[in-house]
Amino acid sequence: MKRLTTRFLMACAAIGAATGVLLLPANFASFAISAAVPLAYAAMVGVWLIGPVVALAVLRRPGAALLTMLIAGIINIPTPAGPSAIVTNLMVGVAMELGFLVTRYRIWRPWLFYVTALVFEVVYAASAYAYFNIDDMAAAGKTFFFALMAVSAVGFTWLGLLIAGRVTATGVARGIAPGTRPVAPPPAPVES
Amino acid sequence: MSVLSLRTYNPVVKVLAPVPAMIVSIGSRDLWTPALFGAVALVMLLVSGGLRGRTLLAVLFGPVLLVAVMTVSFGVWTDPARVDHTIALATLGPFTLWSGALEIGLATGLRVASVVLLALLAGLTTDGPDLVRSMISHLRMPYRIGYAGFAAIRFVPRFRSDLEIIRLAHRVRGVDGGRGPLATGRRYSGYAVPLLAGAIRHGDRVSLAMEARGFGAHRTRTERRHVPLRARDAVLATWLLALCYLVPHLSGAL
Repeated sequence: MKRLTTRFLMACAAIGAATGVLLLPANFASFAISAAVPLAYAAMVGVWLIGPVVALAVLRRPGAALLTMLIAGIINIPTPAGPSAIVTNLMVGVAMELGFLVTRYRIWRPWLFYVTALVFEVVYAASAYAYFNIDDMAAAGKTFFFALMAVSAVGFTWLGLLIAGRVTATGVARGIAPGTRPVAPPPAPVES
Repeated sequence: MSVLSLRTYNPVVKVLAPVPAMIVSIGSRDLWTPALFGAVALVMLLVSGGLRGRTLLAVLFGPVLLVAVMTVSFGVWTDPARVDHTIALATLGPFTLWSGALEIGLATGLRVASVVLLALLAGLTTDGPDLVRSMISHLRMPYRIGYAGFAAIRFVPRFRSDLEIIRLAHRVRGVDGGRGPLATGRRYSGYAVPLLAGAIRHGDRVSLAMEARGFGAHRTRTERRHVPLRARDAVLATWLLALCYLVPHLSGAL
């Protein structure tokens, strides 16, 4: 709890709320599209990853993805997904944290983001398999479904990292991420 | 408030108790299990949801529309080799629509509709801040995280107007990628950076204001509004868990 400074919490809240506002139209659209064209759903899956990827890449602290997704879920309560969105969001948040947890939050390179996103997508695909009964689809459709999911995971992670890089360049998150703290000025010389 | 109204039940129970039922419904392959789950959730919503106006219409006709659309869309994608022993309903060039394919599509549509309806049990009858309060007091979530959630709920209208200002500023300066979905996507990613930077800055200011007022100085925080956890919540949770046992057995008998 000590490391969860109010500033860090509020930065997570801000990223969660801002990505929520940006992705609200995408959420409604994906729900409508996925009912009509099942394959489009696979292409939209990566949208969920933008929030946690931006939070982790900008804030570089344990728990950033988890907190951001929890808060994004709390905001989503009035949407059709309802409070159950919190459960889904927490699942995505935990999945994105895992890759960084096993490397003990020491590696923040882009490849780890991509690997984590792809691993999450594989796990997610397994649950979607049962939900949409993909087993009964034609073989070509099946392959296409999973390929689309992987492409969407990588694509949206790339987009998230791109946005995160630009946000970091603005300097607003300076001092939140450890190691980027502004260097303290040298102590004033003692007057004699 | 009446025991019959779903609004008087504990929000955490309403969110978590339907989850096992959703999992059973997702795991089912027949038509009856998801249909029964969806019907039970629909009846619960209609009887004790206190819905009116547009929401009532959406709950009544939305799932029917969803099932109808998904029956066709998933039916089309079904592997024809699995269902070519059933009746051919229509032939369009090389493509034949089999009745078995429609049945599989119907099962998928019912599954999705039942999960949506079960999620709406909480979604249409819960107030966001109450859910957060209940998570703090009943799930032992640290109150500082909960209050970050409260703050985020207040952020949303602000960021929405920020987004509008950024959009207008871009338009004034003639930042326009043209028309079509790709250009729209590119335009939106152009809004993302100023919006996020402004959002983080706003979060900084709010956190300073909160800390200046002593937020987080103590381990616990007294709530002005108390969200109760009562016997009726245990009854609701037991009922939803019992459904996980009853529905598959009942659908097996049908």
